[in-house]
Amino acid sequence: MTNAEQFETFMQNYQNMVFSTAMRLLANPSEAEDVTQEVFLKAYGNFDRLLGNPSAGGWLKTVATNLSLNHLSRYRSRWSFFSELFGAGDEAAGEPEFPAEDNVEEALMKTERCTMVERVLQELPPAQRVPLVLYHLEDLGYEEIAAKLGVSLGKVKTDISRGREVLRRKLRLKLNAEENLI
Amino acid sequence: MIPNHDKLEQEISRELKALPELTAPAAVAGRVMAAIARRAQVPWYRRSWVAWPVAAQGTALAAMLVLFGGLCLAGWEFSHAETTTQALHRAGHWFSGFNTIGSLFNIFADAALVVVKKLGTTFMVACLAVAALGYAIFLGLGTVYFRLAFAKH
Repeated sequence: MTNAEQFETFMQNYQNMVFSTAMRLLANPSEAEDVTQEVFLKAYGNFDRLLGNPSAGGWLKTVATNLSLNHLSRYRSRWSFFSELFGAGDEAAGEPEFPAEDNVEEALMKTERCTMVERVLQELPPAQRVPLVLYHLEDLGYEEIAAKLGVSLGKVKTDISRGREVLRRKLRLKLNAEENLI
Repeated sequence: MIPNHDKLEQEISRELKALPELTAPAAVAGRVMAAIARRAQVPWYRRSWVAWPVAAQGTALAAMLVLFGGLCLAGWEFSHAETTTQALHRAGHWFSGFNTIGSLFNIFADAALVVVKKLGTTFMVACLAVAALGYAIFLGLGTVYFRLAFAKH
């Protein structure tokens, strides 16, 4: 098997993971595709070290995360002031319409549920989605997220908390404590 | 009604971790392989420095060091000269082949100096302020346009 063929096989094994990581952070398919391409071009440069290495997946995930964050920060630094200005109505914007049944979790099939979660996640404003994804999917701590995003610890906690609250509302998650109150 | 935050955190984690991987567009692999093929065809001197042959890297490094040394020397001469003419005259000893360019630079430098003195510092500062304000206005208008044009409806 030639080097190119080996790399193609390697790419096939990891491309969905890399694309998912980028997509969940960027919430934009074409940008996620660009980042995925960039990740694999970097991987090609390090292919000698990655081939057969059990930590290759972790390396790819880290590179995908960092490139996605770089991509976001390039825009965020330029547009952040206006994002804050227009971001006041974030939660109201793009409210998805979902079935109104109380037992929505039972009513939907698992795939539909995943599609819905994915959709709600992508509709979160970046300020909430990015730290939320880093916390829950990349398993980073609050301090690490604050350092990566260059924002205060308090802002990270607030944004994650708001993001969770939006998810809770839109996904109609039922919590024991809440159910008891009802 | 305040939900249980720990429970909510667990629920959100469960929901998000249950998400399957998204399927990458089929075109990604083709694009990557095409980009790799394109890169392989790029001649060495158009690639990044680290990808150059060792001999070329050494030559380029030596050339950059000579250039840097020359700039440092020129900077030293300029900082110790009273006029640009004097500095260029001194530099001329080192770079005799660049006399014509030096004279031209000298003319432009002296002309710029006369213009600055004639217009005054206040005027120059005002010009810079107007330029900065113009940049800020265009950036602001561009931002508003971007936000409005790409706003999610």
